[in-house]
Amino acid sequence: MQQANVRNIVVVGGGTAGWMTAAALSKILRGKYAIRLIESDEISTVGVGESTIPMIKLFNQVLGINEDEFMRETKATFKLGIKFVDWGKLGDKYMHGFGKFGQDLWTVDFYQYWLKMHQAGKAPDLENYSINRMASLSSKFMRPTSEMANSPLADIVYAFHLDAGLYARYLRKFSEALGVVRTEGKVVDSVVREGDGHIDAVIMENGERIEGDLFIDCSGFRGLLIEQALKTGYEDWTHWLPCDRAYAVPCELASDLLPYTRATARPAGWQWRIGLQHRTGNGHVFSSKFMSDDEAASILMNSLDGKALAEPKLLRFVTGKRKKVWNKNVVAIGLSSGFMEPLESTSIHLIQSTIARLVTFFPDNGFHQENIDEFNRQCDFETERIRDFLILHYNATERTDTPFWNFCRTMELPETLQRKLALYKAHGRIVRENNELFTEVGWLQVMHGQGIKAGGYHPLVDLLEEQEVSAFLEEIAGVVGKCVNVMPTHAQFIAALVAAK
Amino acid sequence: MNDSLIKTVVIVGGGTSGWMTAVALATTLRGKYKIRLVESDEIGIVGVGEATIPMIQRFNRIVGIDENEFMQATQGTFKLAIEFVNWGKQGDRYMHGFGKVGTDLWTVGFEQYWHKMHRMGKAADLGEYSITRMAARANKFMPASTDIPDSPLSEIAYAYHFDASLYAKYLRKLSEQRGVVRHEGKITSVKQREHDGHVEAVVLENGERIEGELFIDCSGFRGLLIEDTLKTGFEDWSHWLPCDRAVAVPCASAPALTPYTRATAHSAGWQWRIPLQHRIGNGHVFCSEFMSQDEATGILLANLDGKPLAEPRLLKFVAGARKLGWNKNVVAIGLASGFLEPLESTSIHMVQSAIARLLEFFPDREFSAVDVKEYNRQTRFEIERIRDFIIMHYKLTTRDDSPFWQACAAMAIPDTLTEKLELFKSHGRVVRRENELFTEVGWLQVMQGQNLVTDSYHPLVDVQSDADTFEYMEGVRAVIGKCVDVMPDHAAYIARHCAAPRS
Repeated sequence: MQQANVRNIVVVGGGTAGWMTAAALSKILRGKYAIRLIESDEISTVGVGESTIPMIKLFNQVLGINEDEFMRETKATFKLGIKFVDWGKLGDKYMHGFGKFGQDLWTVDFYQYWLKMHQAGKAPDLENYSINRMASLSSKFMRPTSEMANSPLADIVYAFHLDAGLYARYLRKFSEALGVVRTEGKVVDSVVREGDGHIDAVIMENGERIEGDLFIDCSGFRGLLIEQALKTGYEDWTHWLPCDRAYAVPCELASDLLPYTRATARPAGWQWRIGLQHRTGNGHVFSSKFMSDDEAASILMNSLDGKALAEPKLLRFVTGKRKKVWNKNVVAIGLSSGFMEPLESTSIHLIQSTIARLVTFFPDNGFHQENIDEFNRQCDFETERIRDFLILHYNATERTDTPFWNFCRTMELPETLQRKLALYKAHGRIVRENNELFTEVGWLQVMHGQGIKAGGYHPLVDLLEEQEVSAFLEEIAGVVGKCVNVMPTHAQFIAALVAAK
Repeated sequence: MNDSLIKTVVIVGGGTSGWMTAVALATTLRGKYKIRLVESDEIGIVGVGEATIPMIQRFNRIVGIDENEFMQATQGTFKLAIEFVNWGKQGDRYMHGFGKVGTDLWTVGFEQYWHKMHRMGKAADLGEYSITRMAARANKFMPASTDIPDSPLSEIAYAYHFDASLYAKYLRKLSEQRGVVRHEGKITSVKQREHDGHVEAVVLENGERIEGELFIDCSGFRGLLIEDTLKTGFEDWSHWLPCDRAVAVPCASAPALTPYTRATAHSAGWQWRIPLQHRIGNGHVFCSEFMSQDEATGILLANLDGKPLAEPRLLKFVAGARKLGWNKNVVAIGLASGFLEPLESTSIHMVQSAIARLLEFFPDREFSAVDVKEYNRQTRFEIERIRDFIIMHYKLTTRDDSPFWQACAAMAIPDTLTEKLELFKSHGRVVRRENELFTEVGWLQVMQGQNLVTDSYHPLVDVQSDADTFEYMEGVRAVIGKCVDVMPDHAAYIARHCAAPRS
């Protein structure tokens, strides 16, 4: 028989995860469910400057958000990729740009033609065939335009850098307008139902009891419901991703408004730089096993582009994932479901995809296990493949200058990642499995950018004459170059957007 | 230039898989590789009337085949669906139509709205929301037309029925035009390289020695290279798919040219019916443990739409997969790589996807082990998921009129299939894993058509009022009805565009 529907949804925790969830559910559920969000002004959110990937545009689309307005409200800037400095070895620089490379030619992927020519010393670096990467080099930006057919200008793919605090505030306004009720205060306890162990209610500091049928745990690292109440358990991945702390600090803007995130490797971790409209967000992710807090803080403070605007704030975390993202009637979204460092800006994406998955497997009061199991299986797959991608950044290095890098370079890798690397090393083949988040060109840029050598190329590349391939590559690089020339600078583009209000 | 490139590819065996491989390689390899195909006119090919799935259009496009010309040359007809008769229980009839069912409404898939309305007694049969199923019922056909955007007419997905030996002949002509060299004769021995066991040559009856660096085994069930020579091994799936024989016979055409394949369940197997322009292909797939050949032949002949046009021919097989689709320098394509009965017309598709995968992982003379391993992983994944889909047709039945059906209903099934069925039973959800061949609507139509009942539906369906949902679904149904009205008759379409010359 049809089970009764869930009636009350309680989101525990504000911040990016909480308000993204509230906003999406209030939009999608069309006012047919009571949605309540509990947060305390006393508990600060983790979000600093936040960097995203292009998928966030889909989220905005579902909400029906005007992009210019959203950017003004969150002091956002555009992002075309991530620049990695000192990763493969000291002095190295490469970018992981969004979007495609080159154009299709025959049977075989574009990058295979490039591999051959590059291996023969007859083609420049990969970046020359990417509008995103070339535009980034000259700090240029514009939205894609399809005015000229087949122009790389139609291939520009972007995401945002935004102020996470402002983003949460913006989504709060959105959610409240659609009927989400916000309750201020701290949750001090939860009531577990006898029998099936579901959460019946949470108890507030002031004694108020808030009941719900479905609880979304957006309480961050500690996992107030998913872990403290339900003891779901956590799978620790620090043997692959040993960083466990970060210092974060905002600083004054530098002269140049970069349309990309920068991730600079440090002796025992790495440092992010995320430029917003009004300031630059910075953070130093490090491993406490290999570096003291003081040293980490001083490395950060000595490498800012501008004057620090606050004291550096220390964050602690353990990389890994919750054993079940959905347990009983609690779904963990955001850091409560697991933590991966922001090296590839996947945090907000994971929130968004977990929300989408919750909608797909939306429960009724029966909370049927088959559905929950499938939901969890999909969550596990997604995070594990992102994990592999992050591990790649640490492992693919020649750095021997510190014990940290020696550890990373020689660590044992997950089998799934070993398989990816082996395939690439053989003939430069990259297989994307089951819609894993990062595409072939994502993997390619990092593997190539960090010095992994493909042992050859696809044999069918040789079906075309070298001259033909060479002319084809030159043509593409030439067109990309011309397109970048006509693009406005990122700073100009943002200034116009802000002024247009 | 890579100096260890392969120079010669040898295809062992003609037939559908051999010639499909030959023409695809000749086209994609642009004459830079020598392609030889060895076949013997003395060895008959298995192909009878052959039914396909829409993916074949992609193959035709890549190879550069003109649809009308190809239909004329192969006595082809169009296929919009498969009709399943007597599967869930005696007297049942449903179709697995190609393409979409319904039109998306909000967050949740169309079928979820249907589940709810169906429970309330307010929905029509699932087939009434599918343009291909409704057109098939009315014996109508036309290819998708993009003239009217958003019209179901723009969503007509179709495949073909054709005569497999004429298809092979047609592809042979194309292949030879594109430089494939055909060698006539039987292979009497296979030469292997001493140090690593790679095949280096096959020797024909007349003593001719044909050398190559890459061998494609299209020799059929026996697997001349992959099994006889390399002893790769075969994984037997007959505990899930116990049918192991088929008797096939063509018969004279019926008055109406149906644009669908029919699969009618009998007491120990099922019978196919594949309409071609000049005749109907029929075959009775059965399980020898439960039925004798004579009885099977009798049933077949008693269930023809027209006069039989030949003696019934017996085929023997074992359902299962070769342990490795690619072993050393031999890639098995077609029946040599595994066999699944043609219940969902997947044979030609698996040939085509093996070819695509071979191109993706095309080797040089190093035969990199990781590439081969990945090819095999993907091959195995594909066939296992198709296997599950076929097993489902046998499992989801309440028939208890014969020991065969009692055994099928009671058999243990693979975990991967159990998961699919359980998920559907709870809230009608279907999850497509990786890029498995059959999509959500494929699974849905068979599960629903064979009476798998869902306990409930997606809760978010209730976000919309019943009245709105009902009105929306009625709208979809009405539009499909109108579209089918304007479609031409299947036979008329063929007569106008691609009739084979009368012999």
